[in-house]
Amino acid sequence: MVTPLTFARGDENLIDALRSGHPGAAAAFYDQHAAAIRRTLQSVLGADAEIPDLLQEVFIRAIDRIGELQHLEQVRSWLTTIAVFTARAHIRRLARRKWLFLFSPDQTRQNHRDPTSSDALLALRETYRILDKIPANERMTFVLRFVEGMTLPEAAQACGVSLATFKRRLSRAEKRFLREVRERPLLEQWLEEGTRWSLQKQS
Amino acid sequence: MEPAEAKLIRAGKKIRDALDDGNAAEELRAERNRLVETITMRNGRASRWRGLSLFPGWRGIFVGGGAAVAVGVAVLLWLQIPISFRIAGGALPGAGGVPGRTGDVVEADARASTALQFSEGSSIVLDKGSRLRVLSTESNGARVLIESGRADVAIAHRGTRKARWRFEAGPVAIAVTGTKFRVDWNPKDLTFGLELSEGSVIVSGDCLPGPRTVTGGGSLRLSCLPSGVARTVAAATPTAGEDEMEAEAIEGPARAAAPARRETKLAHVDGETWQALVAAGHYGDGLRAAERVGFARVCRTAAAVELLALADAARLSGRTARAVEALTVLRQRFPGSLHASTAAFALGRVAYERRGDYNEAARWFATYLDEQPSGPLMGDAVGRLMEARHRAGERAAARRDAERYLQRFPEGPYAGTARAIMFE
Repeated sequence: MVTPLTFARGDENLIDALRSGHPGAAAAFYDQHAAAIRRTLQSVLGADAEIPDLLQEVFIRAIDRIGELQHLEQVRSWLTTIAVFTARAHIRRLARRKWLFLFSPDQTRQNHRDPTSSDALLALRETYRILDKIPANERMTFVLRFVEGMTLPEAAQACGVSLATFKRRLSRAEKRFLREVRERPLLEQWLEEGTRWSLQKQS
Repeated sequence: MEPAEAKLIRAGKKIRDALDDGNAAEELRAERNRLVETITMRNGRASRWRGLSLFPGWRGIFVGGGAAVAVGVAVLLWLQIPISFRIAGGALPGAGGVPGRTGDVVEADARASTALQFSEGSSIVLDKGSRLRVLSTESNGARVLIESGRADVAIAHRGTRKARWRFEAGPVAIAVTGTKFRVDWNPKDLTFGLELSEGSVIVSGDCLPGPRTVTGGGSLRLSCLPSGVARTVAAATPTAGEDEMEAEAIEGPARAAAPARRETKLAHVDGETWQALVAAGHYGDGLRAAERVGFARVCRTAAAVELLALADAARLSGRTARAVEALTVLRQRFPGSLHASTAAFALGRVAYERRGDYNEAARWFATYLDEQPSGPLMGDAVGRLMEARHRAGERAAARRDAERYLQRFPEGPYAGTARAIMFE
């Protein structure tokens, strides 16, 4: 059995090691940040079957661009920005596939993992159907602010925009989301109170 | 009416909670392996390219001179290319094995040995269940760390070019120029063994008074524990044929053991024998003898290994403050040494076991790992750090430590605790 070298030092040494190509540094870097980045991708995309591939993409990009990291203490927010941009590109790819579906239905595939019968997962599916209707940039602001729970400055930084731009996009996303949810009273009820909700009742 | 933002914050939290699935840990593990493979392949391609490049950064462009100069330069640079190695045996696929990478832990299966074959003809056969790392390679040798277990080593002679290999096992180092030997290291009881078939090696380390040459047919067995403590744990008194300190390194098959030499090796403090009392396992008496001389004076003048023994005696006697004092002085007097790092580990144990100060314990175990990332107590330190952080309430950090531990030591003594922490 061959195991990559365990890296037991702090972030500063880890970043230096990544820059110099230390064999265990990539694994240690992943260990420190993968769970949080996966969670961010999930928040933006929902239960998407491509999240594992996107997670790879985020870390490979980050390792390739580690020389750009200016301040050590910003490594998590820097990674989050890469994740946000990766997720946004994925959303746009999916949107293009939908157009393709109109001409060649067989060439596209369902991206979302099939929900179970759980109420929560059914509600989740409906929630992300609503988010799929919102433009990608506005969707980012919404999920980073409300699902990831970031502060406004943190979320604006992750999106790579000014606070003013972020607030404008967020305001549009909020209005759109609330309007869509109000047309689904049972989803609204679940989001507010967590009571039992069923697709059968909704239709 | 409730503000929209408050409703959305609550809704967002519900969405977040619903997104948490049970697949995260397994998925993250699988993706980790995939990432490491991808980076490894990319690094492998890059290093092969660098190896072929005549001018670093120029991507192999020939410039200037005639063909003879170019060939000469090529040969010169080829001679500087580090040796490479392949790993075969056990569960690894293919008769030719897989390319090895410096820094990776190579662990032989519990049922079969694993062979490392180097490009210049040297080989290492790692015994069942043993572990090593090739820390670095050069054009004429490598530096290898035996983490635990046994390895049979055959270093190829390279004609006029001198081979330069270095093997490390805990605090012991073996400088090798061309020889065959067997080395074993037990990180739990800190015992080292060497049997030389041919050639000669130079052995050095903190548990030796000075470098020692061992020649063909000779052998060496060392205990690198602080003087006296190991003997007391293993047996009440030294018995004939056993020597916890050092076996004479000799030329030829005979072995000399000299338990009496231990007394003369111990440092003296105004003729007092606190060292002998501690070595014999009389911890309380030894501690009192040191206090009669002046505990602070003993700490200022004793050797590092003696301070470790004194600290152990104090800890085992329940005199925690004295243990901390001896260890703290040791770190101040011998900064950067292996014993100083061992003292950090011991301070972590005192904080954890005697004081219940888990934050302090975590700090010391992390200090050990920072100072000795490849040290003999590394596995214990990672496991104890995990436990200390868990007890201190640093759950996220403890989970990271647990995952790191299991990646490194899936069957280690802390593996059960690590799994429990990860999945709680």
